[in-house]
Amino acid sequence: MQIEITHQPGNSAARVSLQAGETITAEGGAMIAMSGHIQVETTTHKRDKGSIMGALKRLVTGESLFLNHFTSNGGDGEVIFGTALTGDMMQFQMGSGPALMVQAGSYVASAPSVDMDMSWQGFGKALFSGESMFWIKLTGTGPVIINSFGAIYPIQVNGEYIVDTGHIVAFEESLNFEITKAGKSWMSSFLGGEGMVCKFIGQGTVWCQSHNAGSFGSALGPTLKPH
Amino acid sequence: MQSTIEGAPAFAYINVDLEPGETVIAESDAMSSMAADLDMVAKFNGGFFGGLAKAFLGGESLFVNHFTNNTSSTRRVSLVQGTPGNTRQIDLNGNTFCLQPGAYIASTPGVNLGVKWAGFKSWFAKEGLFKLTVSGQGSVWYGAYGGLLEKEVDGEYIVDTSHLVAYEPQMQLKIQLAGGLFSSLAGGEGFVTRIEGKGKIIIQTRSLSGLADWLNPRLW
Amino acid sequence: MQITINRNGENHGPYPLEQVREMLANGSMQPNDLAHYEGAADWVPLHQVPGVTGDVSPPVLESTAPTPTATQESFTPTGEHEHEFRVECKPDFAYLTVQIPANQTLKVEASAMATMSTNMVMKTKMKGGLSRFLGGENLFINEFTAQGGPGEIGIAPGSPGDLEHYHLDGTKEILLQSSAYVGSSMGVEVDSKWQGFKGFFSGEGLFLLRCTGRGDLWFNTYGAIIEIPVDGNYVVDTGHVVAFTGGLQYGVESVGGLKSLFLSGEGLVCRFSGQGKVWIQTRHPTAFAQWTFPFRPTKNN
Repeated sequence: MQIEITHQPGNSAARVSLQAGETITAEGGAMIAMSGHIQVETTTHKRDKGSIMGALKRLVTGESLFLNHFTSNGGDGEVIFGTALTGDMMQFQMGSGPALMVQAGSYVASAPSVDMDMSWQGFGKALFSGESMFWIKLTGTGPVIINSFGAIYPIQVNGEYIVDTGHIVAFEESLNFEITKAGKSWMSSFLGGEGMVCKFIGQGTVWCQSHNAGSFGSALGPTLKPH
Repeated sequence: MQSTIEGAPAFAYINVDLEPGETVIAESDAMSSMAADLDMVAKFNGGFFGGLAKAFLGGESLFVNHFTNNTSSTRRVSLVQGTPGNTRQIDLNGNTFCLQPGAYIASTPGVNLGVKWAGFKSWFAKEGLFKLTVSGQGSVWYGAYGGLLEKEVDGEYIVDTSHLVAYEPQMQLKIQLAGGLFSSLAGGEGFVTRIEGKGKIIIQTRSLSGLADWLNPRLW
Repeated sequence: MQITINRNGENHGPYPLEQVREMLANGSMQPNDLAHYEGAADWVPLHQVPGVTGDVSPPVLESTAPTPTATQESFTPTGEHEHEFRVECKPDFAYLTVQIPANQTLKVEASAMATMSTNMVMKTKMKGGLSRFLGGENLFINEFTAQGGPGEIGIAPGSPGDLEHYHLDGTKEILLQSSAYVGSSMGVEVDSKWQGFKGFFSGEGLFLLRCTGRGDLWFNTYGAIIEIPVDGNYVVDTGHVVAFTGGLQYGVESVGGLKSLFLSGEGLVCRFSGQGKVWIQTRHPTAFAQWTFPFRPTKNN
């Protein structure tokens, strides 16, 4: 399969070209358009594997409960994926490197040879991070498509680096992280609006998104119709 | 200090590389990532009354963050505005520039933030009674929701009030109805800003109120 | 991005962007060759195709390079058009500026005007019928006339995304999703009463606009525009359909059987068949509306 990411970083879409018989798996609702002869199968779990537990875990993670498997039967075909919010997309090739931890909600699609596992960091770390509490661990080989709110930029961590919690898209499992205060004092952290941030420790790559969906929501929200 | 604007024009963010001893000031919650050994201190935005005036009237937060490099080598902090859109840098050398409330993102220590009374004429426009002025020596980063376009005005020009981001201080601003009374209300334009003089204005190609108008019929 | 070159009436390609850059560099393509790239409404000289000259480096696999700083893309028409115009800040926050000759009038979506020269006079008219009102759309359209001299108007749609121009020459017909309408010349007929029974139930409103006549039509998208030439069969999620040419047959169906209708999140799709062009947008307005839910104020009883 070939994956082309278009219209970066603002309104990215992923055009996936499938050869006859190839399948790509995506979260529910990600498909924008596809060739006429693509077959869609919806499951609660990975094709061939998993169980209803897998589906429940995914619901808790913030991914839609169901996965769609798009197969091109009878010839080559194309599927185009997009997301609800404007933003960037990135394709990542899983291979011999460390597992990739992806923020819940950033997963878009992957080849069936990539394994998805819901793991959580333990309530201690998760509760304070303010993010949807769970991460998806990706292992195996093959391409993965991830999205973000904002432009995606990588940071090579060699020691320590701080990322505001709303700005983390994905990171390599080789990194450790802890939730900590942003400023020199608790007063600074809260008054300065940063609150808690995530400090990455060790060696590995963190992918950050330039913008924070929560900040945009808070700016836009008050101008909208109440419910 | 070196800085670059990345991710433009849809998701512009600023990478500031601070040399030892240098400081950059940014609005609340602007930091997206930074080196772990940079010091971040929240400070009240310029004196008690000054801070309050800016907050309630200028649309900025009561506090700003000072990021200082107290290490012995270069350190990076990445800064961003709350909404998607473009960001620009302007270098001041004793001159003044006027910004819409909320457009300010960050600046270097030699820049003064002030609030200028825009007059009663602004009351109806929902844009607030005040404008932010920046003056002094140094760099200012500002941005808005949408793309940013620069326009040279020589004479007069009309701008929908929610699309005006910044303008040179010598420009005169007046508020008027977009069309006749019926048109102005039904046609959705309401009040517009009439700009007179010779100088530069910056407009944003989207607005949060425009986005809300587009979204609201879709909300239940 | 795929680029097709036309030389001496013959189409070559499509070639990927990288290959085109190489071919330009070694002289096997010329900057003035006519080119058509994905998302373009018209053919343009090759040197105007974004990314052909200058630096573009999309992140590939494990990218260690920072995201490239794109310059603001702008577009001026070279194909057939009535008014002079330019579109800037493509493809994310596209902004349209139209030059209007003295005493001529332009129709513009209500509340979309962002800037205008001071001699422009605005009149508000009711759009055709109640159908748009029921769709939740603004009932009004503004007519801007350049009084006593030429004028200029800058138009900003409400949603973030791209803006496309289509020239109607009297023989063509475009079906446009009703909220995508931005503006048109006076010679273009916009019929909002026609819907047929195949209205889309996707929440985008049941309404399609039928545009015919002669002149310029501009429409915008939520997200980026992808132009898809249909020759045979193509399926698009209904929330992503923006516009399509009149010759296409279309039907609404669910993806993969009833189970998928509710479970898969795709909802309804539109299957196009025949020959023509479909414009799709890369974002789904309903999904965005749902995302805003927790940020909205709550009603106080």
